[in-house]
Amino acid sequence: MNVLAEKKGLIIFGAILLVVLIAALAAYQTTGSMGIEDRYATAVGLPLSPEEGGGDDTFLGFSAEGNHILYVIILGILIVGAYAVYKKYKI
Amino acid sequence: MAHIHLEDGSFTLFWVLVWWIAALCLIGIALYLLRSRYKPDPKKITIAAFVTAAAFAIFQVQVPIAGGVHMNLTPLIGILTGPVIGTLIVFIVNILSAAIGHGGWGLVGANVLVNFSEVLVGWLAFKGMKKITTDLFSLAGVATFAGLFTGNIVMIAVILISGIQGVHQTTAQILAGLSLLAAINMGVAIVEAFLTGLIVAYIGKIRPDILEGDRK
Repeated sequence: MNVLAEKKGLIIFGAILLVVLIAALAAYQTTGSMGIEDRYATAVGLPLSPEEGGGDDTFLGFSAEGNHILYVIILGILIVGAYAVYKKYKI
Repeated sequence: MAHIHLEDGSFTLFWVLVWWIAALCLIGIALYLLRSRYKPDPKKITIAAFVTAAAFAIFQVQVPIAGGVHMNLTPLIGILTGPVIGTLIVFIVNILSAAIGHGGWGLVGANVLVNFSEVLVGWLAFKGMKKITTDLFSLAGVATFAGLFTGNIVMIAVILISGIQGVHQTTAQILAGLSLLAAINMGVAIVEAFLTGLIVAYIGKIRPDILEGDRK
């Protein structure tokens, strides 16, 4: 009975996740990639603000902003690090 | 997330005041309830302090999905502290965020209402779902989806009611644009649902007394 109750919760969670994921992907296909302020401006009809800053944002010729592969690498390092800490100090 | 990312001047002064007054009334009610009925113990205040710090930090970190959206942790606030203390937490977080340029000062009132709705619905969904399942991960995950979806609805309602100064879009066009925005926000809600679910499941394993719903 307890197992069934737990599975019911996960099924509901999974179903909601699927619907939300499809809706989010469809919305992303329509709008494309943009920052949150630009999204709001576009949604309500305000003019987009010009890109702030400028000049060279690289470090030793290496740019982090917008580099999705780098995000995945950093996320992977964080997950591995968190798992290692969890295993070492597991309660 | 559903936090309204518009600059000062987007709403007319009238609507800025309306939302600020509504938020202050909500905060007043929360303070009254805390003083008269729900006097928090030191443990709960400590939890509230940690959650406030965590929520403020996470507000400033953009998840690199679809160009960048930040999480809120508002449903987690509801689950761990309840809606009364949660009201004060979201007010503090919004004030501090405005202080560092994250959203306009005039929008703080509206954002408090948006975030309060997330806290309240997250708390209600967490308590209500206990009749359906005992799995803390899915309880917290579904509560997160419910809370953040409600926040998006409130955000859209606030903007549609207030209108935006200086734009010529029709209400239908603004609604369509904000609906797409809400769908993107809910995509990031997936990340937050997993995060909240894992946090609550872990707390439930080591300190189940901390979870708001387990308090007698």
